[in-house]
Amino acid sequence: MVNDLFYFLIFPGFLFAAAGGGILSWFDRKITARVQFRKGPPFLQPFYDIIKLLAKETLVPRNSAKIPFLYAPVFALAGATLAAVFILLPAFGITTGFRGDLIVIYYFLTIPSVSWIIGAMATGNPLAITGASREMKLILSYELAFLLILAAVIYKSGMTLNVADIIDYQKQNGPLAASLSGILLLIAFVFCIQAKLGMVPFDIAEAETEITAGMFIEYSGFTYAMVKLTRYILLLVLPSFLVILFLGGFRWNGIGILWSVLKILAVVLVLTLVRNTNPRLKLGQAMRFFFVGMNLLVIAAFVLSLYGL
Amino acid sequence: MNAPGLIIIVPILAGLLLLCLPSALLRIKAWTAMAVSLFALVLAFMAIGEEKGLTWMVPFLKDYTSGDASGKLVTSLLRLTALRLDAISVWMTILAAFYAWIVSVYTLSSGKEGEPVPNFHGYVLITLGFAAGALLCDHLLFFLFCWGVLGLTLFMLIRGNNDEQAAAAKKSLIMIGASDSLMILGIGLLWIVQPSMNISGIHLGTDTPLAVGAFLCLLAGSLTKAGAFPFHTWVPDFAETGPAASSAFLPASVDKLLGIYLLARLCLGMFILNEWLVFLIILTGSVTIIAGVMMALAQHKFKKLLGYHAVSQVGYMILGIGIGTPVGIAGGLFHLFNNALYKTGLFLSAGNVEKQTGTDDIDQTGGLAAFMPFTFASSLVFALAISGVPPLNGFASKWLIYQGVIDLGSQGGVSATLWPLWLGMAVLGSALTLASFIKFLTGIFLGARREELASVKESNGFRCTPPVILALLCLASGILASGLVIPRMIMPLYQKFDFVGFWNSELISILVILSFVLGFLFYAMHKLVKIRVAESFTGGEPKKEEKPVVVGDFYLNITRAPFFEVIYRMAEKKWFDIYAWGKELVLATGKGLSILHTGLLPLYVLWAAAGLIILLLVFL
Repeated sequence: MVNDLFYFLIFPGFLFAAAGGGILSWFDRKITARVQFRKGPPFLQPFYDIIKLLAKETLVPRNSAKIPFLYAPVFALAGATLAAVFILLPAFGITTGFRGDLIVIYYFLTIPSVSWIIGAMATGNPLAITGASREMKLILSYELAFLLILAAVIYKSGMTLNVADIIDYQKQNGPLAASLSGILLLIAFVFCIQAKLGMVPFDIAEAETEITAGMFIEYSGFTYAMVKLTRYILLLVLPSFLVILFLGGFRWNGIGILWSVLKILAVVLVLTLVRNTNPRLKLGQAMRFFFVGMNLLVIAAFVLSLYGL
Repeated sequence: MNAPGLIIIVPILAGLLLLCLPSALLRIKAWTAMAVSLFALVLAFMAIGEEKGLTWMVPFLKDYTSGDASGKLVTSLLRLTALRLDAISVWMTILAAFYAWIVSVYTLSSGKEGEPVPNFHGYVLITLGFAAGALLCDHLLFFLFCWGVLGLTLFMLIRGNNDEQAAAAKKSLIMIGASDSLMILGIGLLWIVQPSMNISGIHLGTDTPLAVGAFLCLLAGSLTKAGAFPFHTWVPDFAETGPAASSAFLPASVDKLLGIYLLARLCLGMFILNEWLVFLIILTGSVTIIAGVMMALAQHKFKKLLGYHAVSQVGYMILGIGIGTPVGIAGGLFHLFNNALYKTGLFLSAGNVEKQTGTDDIDQTGGLAAFMPFTFASSLVFALAISGVPPLNGFASKWLIYQGVIDLGSQGGVSATLWPLWLGMAVLGSALTLASFIKFLTGIFLGARREELASVKESNGFRCTPPVILALLCLASGILASGLVIPRMIMPLYQKFDFVGFWNSELISILVILSFVLGFLFYAMHKLVKIRVAESFTGGEPKKEEKPVVVGDFYLNITRAPFFEVIYRMAEKKWFDIYAWGKELVLATGKGLSILHTGLLPLYVLWAAAGLIILLLVFL
């Protein structure tokens, strides 16, 4: 139990994932700044943001359902942290009883969005409700594609649900991305995590210039710090998940460490470049993009993988 | 008489007695129903300890062995009332008694408020008795008799005073009745193929047309009772117009138990399915999941929304049992138990909301969380559980079913090659369920408060307690799922298996609870977290001008999407309603025949003569 608490709270759970995600968030902001010919923030800026938020007062809207409003970010943070543990423990090669299969990970990666939606709905603020309703529809659009990608990964790595087995399979047979179907799946997966992270072009639920941060409009101080921490954790966890499923996982010895860090940075770089070179899609466009485009892409990849391509 | 026999006889007799009492004694009737269902529940629990296998409902008749006519009558009666005690039948009976008890606690205040429908308590007890009879008996004819009476009590439990209820009652009765006649046909076919009438004695291969026909007829009966596509259309109508207590008792729990019980008996004992039948069942399950939830998404009446979910959820159970691997079957049965918990709870909570606000329209309610805290808290648990949010119980059973599908994928056969399709439909159904429950929660409890609802109060204790009990059970069976509930309760129902994946519900639940405790401690530290209540920010627009958001139209961009629009329009025109098709067919036949009825005597004479000629031709 003490071990499990350590995994959950410190490494690779809350503290490690939030710190790693914070650094990636700095990387994302720095690259964005360079793309826009700006200087960019200092290295510790993501952590200054959290400290600043903790010092501010926390506002609760008068007509809201207060308990769901206050505890939704807590559940979101818990869900993201557990997903981090399930994904990062096998990534570091640690085998314990504290683990979840791909289906469990899939469900825990949805918890942050779901609890934010409930929290936003609890405010009674029309802008928040608009944002939450958009987020729900975005979830509906990409969840099927996301699941079918996982199903294809399960199929390609010999019908196993276990993350550690998928890593082992790639160690013996080469990364899953090294095939035609693997590349197609990888492309679809990148778009799915772009949507999961709420990055442009899929930042429909927040849309600062349109519905003034939508779902998060009423969150401030401590509660918004939790939202930010959850997003840091997801920014580390989702790219790591991609590396584990498609790029052969990580190696933590010698030059392998450098490669592992570079893999993560490369994925985040792709996400950042996509978000800096695209305008925000309308809700209908995003839904069509995932429900028609991405699903067809994944199904095509699945069929290719049936023929061993 | 032994305990299992008493579970059948006592509620039926007590129910008949209650029917005779005048409605002035309503309070006594309500408390009697509660006491009798509690007694049945205790007896059902005692039946766990009884020896498994066949037993007799009336044991002392066993010694009556005279050879005369009356002796023969007694022996055949004895054969008819043989009871079969095994893990599945006993657990299903416990649950049936439990839900009868929950519903009778919920209606204890009917002495003051009036009954949901006339003679409600009497019919609940009669339903319980015959449901226990159907679940425990071993003889197909006795089973059919109990099943038939249940169709009738279903009708009596919805039939109120207005036209809508009468129409829904008629529809339910006709659909259930039609499926009963199919079942009689099925049992007849079965009897041609092999002479045994004992459920425990039948193990039939499905390689002859007669056996397949018998299976399909019985399957139609089970699917209609459980409310699966395409025989589901009575469920949403029942849920929309019927009283919440009746919906919570029948379509949400007891009818599901009966339908899935029959399906389990058919697939796991009475018939050995060929791969096409397996394919048919899995397809039915998957289509039911999506069809039900897509219709739920478009609803504005929250009781009807729940009715469509009562359809959608049954798809998971059918899928699980259809898969046929031990883990899939365990998932299907576990989902049945879980669904009964949260769906009954949802109907009862919806009943509370409807009672306190006087409306069942999502667009007319909102912001009730502060006024109805118990109903809201339990509804939140149910909504998260039905959407499969971990670590609640709905997730645990769906997790087993998904594993079953993946397990199926590593086997051979028609349905095995299509495993990604089944998995995709099941998971998409789960996401859509979440979407429609976000609408349910927002429309009723969260969202903008309405001034006209400012005086709404929480329901009385009798009406609040059952949802709270059910919510606690949802939490418990989710938290203890992987360590206690699945290995101790679910595995003995069919057979033991090893999990394909990993899910440690106890550990994860402790960590989630720990997170909430930490959150609470931080919020409680006022020096660290300074909380201030303020007006919400609406982009600078004045607050009074603000119109409440219309929650009912959340998913218009789905229902108006190019392809879906056509489907929804077809659904509105009742293209998928087998009842409407049947009605059209009957009316068209009637019209055709009415052409012949001109009222002219010579024509009738002509018909009579033609009939005589045909008879002569046939017999000569």
